[in-house]
Amino acid sequence: MSERFPGALELSRVTHNYGSVTALNSIDLALHRGEFCVLLGPNGAGKTTLLKILATLVRPTEGAMSWGGQFPERHQIGYVSHRSMLYEELTGFENLLFFAGLYGLDPATQRANQLCDEFGLSKSKGYKVAGYSRGMRQRLTLARALLHRPKILLLDEPFTGLDQHGYRTLTTVLKTLKSKQRTVMMATHNLKEGLELGSRILILDSGRLVYDVERKTISMSELEAAYFGNISQEVEGE
Amino acid sequence: MRVLGQIWTMAAKDLTLTARSTHSFLTTLFFALLILVIFNFAFQPGVEATRLSLPGILWVALLFPGIIQLNNSFQREQEQGTFQAILLSPVDRGTFFLSKCLSNWIFLICIDMFILLAFTVLFNPRVTLRFLMVVPIILVASAGFTAVGTLFAAMVVSLRAREVVFPVLFFSIIIPIILAAVSATQEILLREQLEYVGKWIQILVAFDVIFLSAGFLVFEYVVVE
Repeated sequence: MSERFPGALELSRVTHNYGSVTALNSIDLALHRGEFCVLLGPNGAGKTTLLKILATLVRPTEGAMSWGGQFPERHQIGYVSHRSMLYEELTGFENLLFFAGLYGLDPATQRANQLCDEFGLSKSKGYKVAGYSRGMRQRLTLARALLHRPKILLLDEPFTGLDQHGYRTLTTVLKTLKSKQRTVMMATHNLKEGLELGSRILILDSGRLVYDVERKTISMSELEAAYFGNISQEVEGE
Repeated sequence: MRVLGQIWTMAAKDLTLTARSTHSFLTTLFFALLILVIFNFAFQPGVEATRLSLPGILWVALLFPGIIQLNNSFQREQEQGTFQAILLSPVDRGTFFLSKCLSNWIFLICIDMFILLAFTVLFNPRVTLRFLMVVPIILVASAGFTAVGTLFAAMVVSLRAREVVFPVLFFSIIIPIILAAVSATQEILLREQLEYVGKWIQILVAFDVIFLSAGFLVFEYVVVE
């Protein structure tokens, strides 16, 4: 697959077990550059495990992952999980500066300020994260994940718990990323937002990739039919 | 140089967080003072048996409160998800371990100095230049405790029974450090000649090197899911 899609992030026969439970079962997947891939699936389908493997946080029990033929380096990856991954007792700006230091960004202050401006956090950057609303935290989390300009961004249900304002802001941010041809993989339960944002739709069920389609080829009703059991298409490459 | 910068960045962050939420420092200090006060009531002052027990009393007071801090080393990181955020960064896992050791060590040393002060007030040992030789022993022994404690804290951070598992693992491994530290302190506080203090310090340094190196090397396997 690497010859067909140079630079693509590839999973080959990836299986992951938690004890006797199989979370992922022989997943083959190639994520192409500039693609906004939406990962749908019910609870326990293996979405988070798949994202954690892509983020290099979990080693698969079997199978391999590669980026352009090599194991991906961590600075190429940005990851947003269920949790904010921020220090509550530090200010928003201090959080960004701290992570900028870990990534060796220079000048860190300039990049942190730039992201605060981009994500509408300039006024609140001096306040402790403990006092942030859910929406502000999520924006800061996204800013943290994009701090080092990763080649691929992994989002695990980023809309969870957001109010309408936060939802709209995050949608705008993600649409901007899509327009900038960032490679993104986003796990979500919400079919509507998945269809709105994605350029490619995947459905994971019981650890298996059961649906893989280009966004432009399907409608909402077709996606609903596929999601709720009437799968009409085989997984690409199988 | 970059690694040293990363170690300091992470340790400084930990110390900033500790300074902003003083409850862990105050709780640990209070626990230590409580131990000393209890011993002070239990042992009759001025009696020879009490004098002979001073090294043991001091090390119990230094050791037990430290467990609170060491056991919670990764708790905040785990709760706020920042543990994963650091693992996602290009920082080497061993570097992460060393930074945690450094911040834990600085925290313990600060607590230990207060404990030493309270110890001198409550047990009235003769404070001479010789007594102050206890300080380097505390510095060296604390480094060993910190290395072992930090490694085990990372191992048990996601366990439900970590409060029980951690002390069992921790104490079973640090016995050689405790023996060396108490023996060196005995020599300083109780004996005329300082014959073996240097040897005990050498043993403590050797343990520090072993435990820090082991932690640095195996930390990657400890934190992977």
